[in-house]
Parts: sequence; C-alpha cells; structure tokens
Amino acid sequence: MNEVATVAGAETGPFEIRDYLRLELMPHFMCPGCGHGIALRALLWAVHELGIEKDKLAVVSGIGCSGRVGAYIDANTFHTTHGRPLAFATGLKLARPDLTVVVISGDGDSLAIGGNHLIHACRRNLDMTLLMLNNEVYGMTGGQVSPTTSEHRLTTTTPTGNVEPVFDACRLAAASGASFVGREVTLQAPALKNLVKKAIAHNGFSFVEVMSDCTEIYGRKNDLGESPEMILSQKADMRPEAFGNVADQPFRPHRLATGVFAELDRPEYGAVYRAQPAFRKG
Amino acid sequence: MTADTSLDEPAEATREASRADRPTNILIVGVGGQGVIMISKVLALLSQMHGAEVKQSEVHGMAKRGGVVFSHVRYGKKVWSPTIAKGEADVLIALEWAEGLRWLDFLRPGTGVFVSDTRKIVPPFACRNRKFGADRAYAKETPAEIVSRVGNGYVLDATGAAEDLGNTRAANTVLLGALSTTLEFPAEEWENVIDQFVPKGTQEVNREAFRYGRDWVEKARRDPAFGLSDANAYEAPVLLPGEVDVELEINETWCKGCDICVKLCPERCLALSEKHKATLKNPAACTGCRVCEWLCPDFAIRVKRTAAAEAAE
Ligand code: SF4
Ligand code: SF4
Repeated sequence: MNEVATVAGAETGPFEIRDYLRLELMPHFMCPGCGHGIALRALLWAVHELGIEKDKLAVVSGIGCSGRVGAYIDANTFHTTHGRPLAFATGLKLARPDLTVVVISGDGDSLAIGGNHLIHACRRNLDMTLLMLNNEVYGMTGGQVSPTTSEHRLTTTTPTGNVEPVFDACRLAAASGASFVGREVTLQAPALKNLVKKAIAHNGFSFVEVMSDCTEIYGRKNDLGESPEMILSQKADMRPEAFGNVADQPFRPHRLATGVFAELDRPEYGAVYRAQPAFRKG
Repeated sequence: MTADTSLDEPAEATREASRADRPTNILIVGVGGQGVIMISKVLALLSQMHGAEVKQSEVHGMAKRGGVVFSHVRYGKKVWSPTIAKGEADVLIALEWAEGLRWLDFLRPGTGVFVSDTRKIVPPFACRNRKFGADRAYAKETPAEIVSRVGNGYVLDATGAAEDLGNTRAANTVLLGALSTTLEFPAEEWENVIDQFVPKGTQEVNREAFRYGRDWVEKARRDPAFGLSDANAYEAPVLLPGEVDVELEINETWCKGCDICVKLCPERCLALSEKHKATLKNPAACTGCRVCEWLCPDFAIRVKRTAAAEAAE
C-alpha cells in the first residue's frame, strides 16, 4: 500500500507556489540563477498535484545550500546534520508512517559525508524520497571539490583542476537497492515535476538526482557562462549555440541519461519492520 | 514491359487498366513508436512469399522524439523506384489521425484506400495554441469528412479496440487486419507473418486484433452506418482563435536578475531593467507558455489570465 496521503481522485486545481512557501522568509537566500530554486518549485508542484496535505508532508534536509532549501517549505521541515538527513528521516518515517517523507540533500551531503547513510537507506528500501540536488560542488562552504565535480574543473581545493573521476549517483543508488531511481535536469521543469511525482508515489526508497547548477561559486570560477548558459548546458548534448556569449565549454561535459532508471517492486522496509512478531506483540 | 519509374506517368486510363502489371503502392504513416516499421516488414515478407519484388524506404529518425515516421512499400513483378509519388498510393495506412491527413494527397484519386486510426497524438509544443490554457492546435478535419472525400475510407478506433483486447500495442495489428481485406494475400498467411514480427507472448492478442480489424471492415462494407460509427464518435479538437489573454506578474522584490527568463523565453519578450529586474518589454509576443514561470529560480514570475479573460468566462 502506498502511503501518500492523497485525496482520492481529487482535482487539485492550478498550482500556486505561494500556498506552499513560508512567505516571511522570501526572497530565499540562494544566489541569482541557482538551480535549487527550480528544483524546489518542481517538488512543491509535485506535492500539489499529488494532493498531499502540508501537514502530512515532512521535508528533511542536511547541510549545504541544498539543506537550506527545505526551510522555505510551509510544511513539517527538519534541518539536520551534515550527511545525516537520511538517518533522521528513517527514524521519522518509522515512527510516523503516515507522513510523506522527502529528503533534500546535495551531492556532497549524499555521496561524500553521507555516502554510508545513502547506500544503507537504498538497501533498506524504506518508503521515502531523496532529492539529491547535484551541482557538482560544495557551494555553501566556499566551493570545494565534491564527488560529482567534473574532470578538470577548478574548485578551491583543486586549483589546478580536478583529477578524480565523477561518481554516477544513479548507478550507485540502483546498485545499492533503491527501488526507484531517476534523474532529470532543472531545465526540464515539468518533466522533473513528473519524475518527483512518480518518486513520491512509489512505495519504497526513491532516489532522484536533480541536475542543478551553481552559478556563483562554480560557474564563475570555471568560466561556464551565466545562469542561462549553465542551465542550458546541464548536459553536454544540450549546448546552447543560440547565445553569443556562450562559454567555451558546456557546464557538464558528460552526456547524461535522464528519466527513470529503476522502478522495482521490492518489500518496503517499514511494512516488513512492523510485521515482525516482536513489534506486533508491542 | 511497363517500366514504372514514377517519372514517366502513364495516362490515367492505362494506369488503371494495368493494375495487375504495375506495383502495388502502400504508404504507412504514424509517429515514433507506433509500429510503422513493423507493418512494413509484414507487408514486405508477405509479398516476397508471393514471389513479388519489394522495395521499401522509410524515414524513422524522429522516432525517439515522437516525431513523424513514414514508410513506402512497393511490390509487384518489377519495382524500380523505392518511393511512391503523390497520387499513386493504393493504400494509405495512418496510425495517427493528423499524420494520415498530412499524407492524404499521396492517395490515388478515386480508387485509393484510406485506413486510419482515429487516435490523436498531439505533439506537446509544436502546435500549441497560443492562448493560455487553450487546447493545443490539432487537425480540424473530422474522420467523417475525410471518409467522404476518399475512394474508400476505413476509419476505426484501432487503439481503443486494441485496448479492449488487453494490449494497446496491438493497434497496428488491428489496422493490418483492416488492410488485409484490400490486398490479395490469404488471411492465414497474414497471421503467420504477423506472428513472426510481434513480441513473444503477444501472438494471441495480435491474432485477435488482426481478426478484429478484418471483421470490422467486412461489417463496414455491409453496413455503411457501422463503417462511420468510429468516425462519428471522434471528438474534434476545440480551437479557440487567437489573441493572448495572459499577463505576467513580476515580483521585483523576489527577482534577482539572473537573466534566465530573459534568455529562455521562447518569444524573447522579457528584458532586464536598469535596476536588473525582469520586465515584460513585449507583451504582445507573450504566448503564455509559462517557461519563465517554471524556470525562475526565485518564483518571481507568475503567468495568469487577465482580469478581462476571467470576466469573460
Ligand atoms: S528568472 Fe526570475 S530571478 Fe531571474 S531575472 Fe527572471 S524573474 Fe528575475
Ligand atoms: S509566458 Fe513567459 S516565457 Fe512564455 S512567452 Fe510569455 S514571457 Fe515568454
């Protein structure tokens, strides 16, 4: 059984983002052109279309720019420690299975500091959704190299260019057992919304990699153009030739596949956990 | 020998008289993923089994994008050109309604047979109506109109029928069933050949789909009212004529001047002001597509209907 608190068959009406924001905190803290805003919009849009009540939505986030994203959502939000949002979310979901739990985390938060939590959350397959906002860099702490920084990119800790290979987070999540795995770029906002909708509705652990961009810290250092150029070159095959001032190189040199990579029907951890004899005796 | 090069046109009379000598021309059209190529393969193999020479050519590059796919199949004693000239197709099979219309003038006037699914596949952006919230533009012609214009028209809800049989993907087999009634090959051969081209495990449903199409045409031949039943049941798209009835609400406090909306608006109707805030410099060009609203990372743009448009409702 899918535990998304949807109003059965309800037509949810036009999406008005202001209904889902903590207006007193707006405008948000993110830099001009930061893709995280588009990702946040896609999440709220998906929540709206699924008809999830705000009181039944819990957003857990870690540290980093991505960690701050959750704070603007007018729902139950939980800003936790670096790399550990999945651990907090696991406890929350087990205690309150009636909530729809969404975790917002970054590439560094999920893959480096929280790498261990990630693989075990995937393995357990507890019903929640992880949005990993991948902007290839630690933006908030000043632009250090992350596990997804593309080859040869300059960061404050790779002054002569990054020499480490890039982590393919979707393959990692799928191999670790996540029962729903998908990736989308923020440029395709409606497709991203649809992917997030599917991920939230999926019963089990859903991993969504959102290809975002960091214009101020990463784009500028690497001469990748301004926000419009970066958002248009989130994939190497999406080069914007139309603008005169295109950077010499696309933001992401890789040809990225997008869409749903895994959608499996595996036992959901919460249900399995509650079915234990000890739990039933209570 | 009647050389068929499609270049030196035989006179109308001789062309009709020599139907047995000249190749049979079948044009199959649809959009990506519908099975245009599968139909071509079935036809090619069938005619080869009957000792005919076959030439087939296709465009399917757009398939992955849901774009146009077409395939020319020509078979007969001797086939020279691999493509069918305008007005020379004996049969036009359309897996998608608007695609069928697009190719209608390839049909041989007077005698050409038009076999089409009534299903609409509306391209997401390409023919969007430039009015906020309006239906997307789509061919206005109804199946009933078209049937009255062609020599012989069989317009059926093949996708609906396939859905009822339990597999939407068998819609093209329904159309093959309809097609089979207009060509000379025996029904068993069709079924055997189709078996080879459909995925394992779907042979049974495809056989049913084939028979459905065949029976449908036979019924339609006996009862013209039945033949038009699907055509008449078709819901024509509602088209609202043109002006834009949207306006943009730009929240200057939230806008950070990132330029995304300015550069990504397909109509280029936005600009940054001196204060580095987005402004609508060309309201007349705005189509209300909402790209700016979706992509503004700061939620500073809202595309909404004008008060006048609201009141008009
Ligand atoms: S996308 Fe939003 S923040 Fe950026 S310039 Fe346009 S309105 Fe301003
Ligand atoms: S809705 Fe926005 S993006 Fe679309 S045409 Fe109007 S101003 Fe441009």
